[in-house]
Amino acid sequence: MKKLVSVVLMLMLALVSVSAVADMAGKQVALMTPYLGSVTTNQMVEYMKADLEARGAVVNVINTNNDFSKLASEVENIAIAGQTDAIVLVSADPSQIANQLQEAFDAGIPVFGCDSGFIEGMQVNATSDNYQMGSLIVHYLFDDLMGGKGTVIALTHRPHPGVVKRCEAFDDIIKDYPDITLITEQHVPAEQPINDAQAIVENLLLANAEKDSVTAIWAAWDEPAIGATQALKEAGRDEVIVTGVDGNQQAVALVAEGGNLKATVAQNFKGMGEIVVAEMEKLFNGEEIVKGEQYAPATIITMENVADFQE
Amino acid sequence: MSKLKKIFQAYGTLLALAVITLVFSILRPSSFFTVRNLINISRQISLMVIISIGATLVMSINEFDLSIGSMASLGGVMCALMAVGGMPLPLCFLLPVLISLVVGWVNGWIIARFRVLSFITTLGMSTVLSGVIYWLTGGATVFQNIPQGFSWLGTYKFGDIPLLSVLMVIFVILFAFIMRHTVLGRRLYAIGGNEETSKIAGINVGLYKNIAFALSAVLSCITGMLIASRVGSANTTAGDGYFLNSYAAVFIGCTVSRKGIPNVLGTLVGCAILGILSNGLTMLQMPTYMQDIITGAIIILAVILQKLGKGDAK
Repeated sequence: MKKLVSVVLMLMLALVSVSAVADMAGKQVALMTPYLGSVTTNQMVEYMKADLEARGAVVNVINTNNDFSKLASEVENIAIAGQTDAIVLVSADPSQIANQLQEAFDAGIPVFGCDSGFIEGMQVNATSDNYQMGSLIVHYLFDDLMGGKGTVIALTHRPHPGVVKRCEAFDDIIKDYPDITLITEQHVPAEQPINDAQAIVENLLLANAEKDSVTAIWAAWDEPAIGATQALKEAGRDEVIVTGVDGNQQAVALVAEGGNLKATVAQNFKGMGEIVVAEMEKLFNGEEIVKGEQYAPATIITMENVADFQE
Repeated sequence: MSKLKKIFQAYGTLLALAVITLVFSILRPSSFFTVRNLINISRQISLMVIISIGATLVMSINEFDLSIGSMASLGGVMCALMAVGGMPLPLCFLLPVLISLVVGWVNGWIIARFRVLSFITTLGMSTVLSGVIYWLTGGATVFQNIPQGFSWLGTYKFGDIPLLSVLMVIFVILFAFIMRHTVLGRRLYAIGGNEETSKIAGINVGLYKNIAFALSAVLSCITGMLIASRVGSANTTAGDGYFLNSYAAVFIGCTVSRKGIPNVLGTLVGCAILGILSNGLTMLQMPTYMQDIITGAIIILAVILQKLGKGDAK
């Protein structure tokens, strides 16, 4: 009897666990991107593919090699074929293929975004909140590293839609710190940001040659932070603090070295993938989901936790 | 011709350089006109000077090489990838040079053999090279596992003097000599002066075009490798920023020569003007948009002054 009970119990358990993953069983999911070559896009696609397949979905990865018009055609093909249960657009601006996505919406295919953008008709786009990342690092710099006082140089690139949000966070927060003075804001071109930032900082260091005349350099993304760090190292200005944003591996390595670059912010690409898969599962289960942008919280990388972020 | 005009004609651009230097020295007396900053400027312009010498050679035969930016990017990427792949470092810096020599030679050959406009040919080549860069890197910056020694060329110093500045001086002396005192230089100028006459005079125009484009590609590649070595990573678009600036430097440099032709020393002056402006304006903590406005205006002004001096402005 005991045996029978335990067998029945195990069977029930097995059924329950199967039903937990069975919601996605056999669902056809298309992961579509023009940028599979990019390291982070690749990461997100691989992560979602593994997660979806573990839940029983059949995943089709479509990469169009930078070609948005091909991406548009592929969306049309999927809409016409009508056999796909969900589309995930990865690192691609949906407004560039809005007409084709409309065909998918009309065909009743739910469309998700992962680090993409959001247009009406889509379900959810999971992305980073650039303003939040900006304020996270600015607060860390001003409070924890500078102790609320000193001078700061800002290295920015406002034409970029993501970077400008970080700069706006910087603009808003510095107003609350009367004892922190902005020495200058310098625009860093995007073609060779490390080299250009290096030259800019070298020049600024000569203009502010006295030790402690510059407390910190705030860079709106990691490349200028790397250039600034190299310039400071060469000039022997150990006292100047640098921070970046993005968590790129060269910056992470510099944080680990314990030199001028004290912190950066890691975008949570895995977290974005998790949001998409979780929301998709809810949808397939017939649950309500809140349409719009959802943010994967970013993490500050400092000397304390840098080992977790080194590849 | 008035005395003033004569002065403008001979020394207009150098005068501009002196005035710019003087203004910055007055505004930032303790930091601008110091040995340390002059060394700093020499290193900051060194890469632009090397790539601009290539542009000067091509312009001396009245052609344009629009592929120098992507050739520089490719040079850095190839060199970094080879280093990551574990190839001995000297080879990492030598093989890309040989590859760029072939690319430049192909540019020159297409232009001379099929009489295609150099604009179109090198624009096409630039696109091809960008494609190759993407193919090699997937668009991502090459950084991981670059060996320590890779940064030696870009960061080594003899005392206070950066190796980059020394390399710049060597390239300037070498190519100024070649252009002035060798058969190669004189023939390049002859072709630039009048291609048909040069042909009639027995100059192998095709061969010299090949050489000019090959040297331009090699110098671009070297610049790209040095950028990568300096920053310790190879950005896939690292060379793009040098393309327009190097031609601006060559154009300013033309005004140094009395005949208005491209010349290596003039190009050095052009690079120095651009470099000093960028250095001085950053030191004055000038916002970037003002730097762009002032730099652009000074480039235009320099050329106008020289034209006025020559007396061919209406």
